[in-house]
Amino acid sequence: MDRSRRNFCLGAGAATVGAATLAAVPRDADAVSASGDAAHRWAMVVDVRKCVGCQACTVACIMENDVPENSFRTIVSTYEVTEQGRAGSYMLPRLCNHCEDPPCIPVCPTGATYQRRDGIVVVDNSVCVGCAYCVQACPYDARFINHETQTADKCTFCVHRVEAGLLPACVETCVGGARIFGDLKDPDSTVSKLVREQTPKVLKPEMGTQPRVFYIGLDPKMQGKVDGTPTLWRPAPHAEKEHA
Amino acid sequence: MMDTHIVEVINVTREVAWLPWAVQYFFLIGLSVGGLLLSLPGYAFARDGWRPLGRLALIVALTCGLAAPVALLSDLHQPGRFWHFYVVFRPTSWMWWGSLFIPLYIGGLLVYGWACLREELQAHGRVDSRLAGLYRLAALGGGRDDRLIRAAGVFVLAGAALVALYTGVEVAVVKARPLWHTPFLPVQFLTTALAGAVGLVLILNRVVGTADRGVEVLGNRLLAAVLAAVMLCGGLWLALGLSELDAGHAAALDSVAGSEAWRVTAVWAVAATVVPFVIAVARPAGTGLLTGLIAVHSAWMFRWTVFIGGQSVPKTGAGFYEYALPAGPDGLMGIVGTAGLWLFLLILMTALLPVSSTPAAGRPANASGHPGGRLTAAE
Repeated sequence: MDRSRRNFCLGAGAATVGAATLAAVPRDADAVSASGDAAHRWAMVVDVRKCVGCQACTVACIMENDVPENSFRTIVSTYEVTEQGRAGSYMLPRLCNHCEDPPCIPVCPTGATYQRRDGIVVVDNSVCVGCAYCVQACPYDARFINHETQTADKCTFCVHRVEAGLLPACVETCVGGARIFGDLKDPDSTVSKLVREQTPKVLKPEMGTQPRVFYIGLDPKMQGKVDGTPTLWRPAPHAEKEHA
Repeated sequence: MMDTHIVEVINVTREVAWLPWAVQYFFLIGLSVGGLLLSLPGYAFARDGWRPLGRLALIVALTCGLAAPVALLSDLHQPGRFWHFYVVFRPTSWMWWGSLFIPLYIGGLLVYGWACLREELQAHGRVDSRLAGLYRLAALGGGRDDRLIRAAGVFVLAGAALVALYTGVEVAVVKARPLWHTPFLPVQFLTTALAGAVGLVLILNRVVGTADRGVEVLGNRLLAAVLAAVMLCGGLWLALGLSELDAGHAAALDSVAGSEAWRVTAVWAVAATVVPFVIAVARPAGTGLLTGLIAVHSAWMFRWTVFIGGQSVPKTGAGFYEYALPAGPDGLMGIVGTAGLWLFLLILMTALLPVSSTPAAGRPANASGHPGGRLTAAE
């Protein structure tokens, strides 16, 4: 598995033939293995040039993962950028970065959050005590407390879908093909090629977390904490003066 | 210079995940540790001049120490799973270490408190009252035992040091929040906790104590010294941030410097430190209630600002998250409830062992004649 939704559709026929020929036992999506397969290292490349800010990924994630109201595992941060008198929109899909060195894991006092051998960082919400230490430790504000389970929650790369040979819901639904998911351990995968050839950026590289969500076309101004005016629904007087 | 302006149109607001319960916990455990340290000279090191202050400090240590874990447990979103801490080995997590240190400290504190108050329990057991039997039972047939007090004191001092260490470092290691990620934070927690503990001693001196002038003067002098340390730490943190000698501190200052609310908070914090300092230095007698109230308020405000204010700084988004104190258990009720629990413990403790009714001032029915002396024999 390695593609955006577009490529996935193109390869669907071949996959069907392959499945029939190999007669492999289909893995049950409900029986997600706890440790994952070390033969893979799942990653995502986000081509922000292709993102149109439709939030279809945001909605798909909520529907797929039953994310409670007012919570988000992924969202497309949207900015209006005015540069030399010209205004434009800038979209930045955000999600858990499934870091190589995730700062959320060592702080966990119960071992509820851990990294599978395939790199996906998950939370066992039957073990999590909801102390929220991991929420504090994540530099990307990617974690939150799920008030239905009262435990830490975050993007899992739709691990239950990946285990079943499917793409994450956000990738599946992306209209512009901006989200590309695949295996970094496969040198021929699209993500491997993009990471190798496009030298994409990551968010907050100075944190040393080595994210495995890469961005193509990432504006350095958006790479860390964005220095801007907060959302329109909360205009600040000083910002209005700046506009004047 | 390129003129760029960014307006955030859509983003997610992350709510605070460490609730006002956490503020209450860090406040109460800090005051408990501070109270314990203040009680040690009078009890563990048998310095009689420190006894009256130490007696009040002991109340601070015990009442705050017993209320604190309740607040901590409530801050867990799954409090019923607290035992999960104790079935794993997670040495990389300071919170996990904390789960070991807290019972160590509280257990030690209870033994130490009992050892310190045993003399009083014995004296109350000699008074002809319905509860005399219970007091005698609580005294376990003994009285003052300085060796026991010292041993328990040393043990609980180690526990207090570990609690002070873990509470500070647990927050300071969070690299994702520049405001927290500073080696100053553990020291600031400790110094403000000491200031709060002295402040509470000064308040209790008036409210449940005998308004002892000696305690007030000593307390105010201690408060002035501790507040000087608080100002030194704050000044060094600010200097590091302004001078940009250290990128981390500069980032921390930069993350809030543009906010009017944070500027007001900073002025408030400085005023709440400088004003009691000046009063305590200029007029240590007769001002204990005032300086005490300001010091306790200042210690609480520091924690509120660190935790609630700190979590209002987005890690990736623009500006600040807004926080409105909820009225329910996750907000106001949590604060009021914890304060109520502490008040209950204070009433209970002072009702059972009134400060003004020390063994010397009590009415022993069959006193040995040396209420302040060492009594080891069973009655």
